[in-house]
Amino acid sequence: MIRRINFTNRKRIPRDRVRVELTAGQPRRLTATLELDGLSLSGSSAIYLEAMCAGSPAIERFACGDVAHPSPPRDQPLGEIEGENVFFTLKVVDRAEHLGRIEGIAENIRPERSGKEPAPRKSILPIEPRDLGEQLWELEFRQENVFLIVNSRVPGFIDRVHADPLVYSLMYPAIVREILSRAFREASPASEEEERWPSYWLRFGRSLHSENTDPATIEDEEEQQEWIAEVSGAFCKRHRLAESFAAAGYMGGDP
Amino acid sequence: MNARQFNDEGIRQFRQFLAVCRENPRAELPRELLEDSRLSTAVAPGVDVQPSTLPKREDAARLLTQLLEPLGDKAVAQNAGLWTWLSLFFFDQVCPAAGGQRHVKNDYHYVYEPLNPRHSYRHLLFIAWRVQKVAAPHTRLFLSGPLSTLDKMTSEVFKRLYLMRIRCIFEVLERLYWDPERRKPRSGVVDSQTVKRGDLSHRLPIRIRQLEMTYDLLELNADQLLELLGDEFRPGAR
Repeated sequence: MIRRINFTNRKRIPRDRVRVELTAGQPRRLTATLELDGLSLSGSSAIYLEAMCAGSPAIERFACGDVAHPSPPRDQPLGEIEGENVFFTLKVVDRAEHLGRIEGIAENIRPERSGKEPAPRKSILPIEPRDLGEQLWELEFRQENVFLIVNSRVPGFIDRVHADPLVYSLMYPAIVREILSRAFREASPASEEEERWPSYWLRFGRSLHSENTDPATIEDEEEQQEWIAEVSGAFCKRHRLAESFAAAGYMGGDP
Repeated sequence: MNARQFNDEGIRQFRQFLAVCRENPRAELPRELLEDSRLSTAVAPGVDVQPSTLPKREDAARLLTQLLEPLGDKAVAQNAGLWTWLSLFFFDQVCPAAGGQRHVKNDYHYVYEPLNPRHSYRHLLFIAWRVQKVAAPHTRLFLSGPLSTLDKMTSEVFKRLYLMRIRCIFEVLERLYWDPERRKPRSGVVDSQTVKRGDLSHRLPIRIRQLEMTYDLLELNADQLLELLGDEFRPGAR
């Protein structure tokens, strides 16, 4: 298992603080706006915006000034990055030491295309109550959606699935793994275009994957399991599940 | 002759030949496909390519880098038809016959798929050119082997896109894993089963993943990255 080191208190910059717009053309052009106020970042730290594309090792880096005086790209060419699935990382780097330490980061930022409004979000895992006997929950895979069925015999359980870290921290990693494993088996070659749950979930997984690796390009089962493990880890990290679990009153140590 | 690029039908017919050759390892090479104008077009600007003996990947790297220079790196890296045509042109090099029989491996070793990151680096000719383009002058780890197989060292590095984005990575890899006395890669660093201190298959990717959470690795020089990697990666410590 990969142990994450964050002894320098790196800050997670919310993605909505970074807006990136791409304008079509040859090459495409990039404009970004940053809103870093109130994040307790050092004024002298340098800002970098990095563009990458799924499936390519290419990276294009834009120096954006420092936190006190940001100068994000305005109508600059994106010349090095080919391909459609462009994503961005914003790094705030403390240059006071000889090795640049990351003070804040926002990853997997998706650009807005010029003139397009972002689509409204919808849940990819609707929850339904049902009498499940002694079983707490199960997944139900229907034609278009996958549903989380929770036991209606347990009073208030359906609300705690969303709200109680002691419940969701234990449930959701297993749910993510199970659905993605099944999505690999059920996705058809044209599944990216299909409006069915395997497509939603594989797209969701890809958006979390650190390399943005397209699951459609993964053929053997071992590599699929590696991809799922990476996505599951990223999911836990994004939602700080261990931290939430501990903070919610879980008492470790003595039985 | 002038180098050409297959169209979709040319690639389909080449794949068909690969399937036939797996069934019949003594199948004749369909050299007529190379100049069939219904299956391919000449590249522009024109590039003159001649049969060559390319026993090692470094031989192919040298030849292809020089040969394809006029076409531009971006265009070359995206040209599935050109690389696939070159595979047929140099088929005796990428899939040599032993005792009159060939052992044809997976299609992706011969048919280039630029949009598939799991397959593209496995193309036997493309990877030779690619190594030369992105790793020079630190290419020894990846070019010393035979052209007709893809070694573990090369695939372990080139399948990991995040490693390739670190500018000093090839110098670091050479300093860590090249054995100057034996003039070959250090042994035991790409064992898929056993995890060893400082190895390339397991420990290096994990350590880099840890470090990139904290440090801006992209612009580091090799000395700085080696310092961050720590004692486990010092040659004497393994």
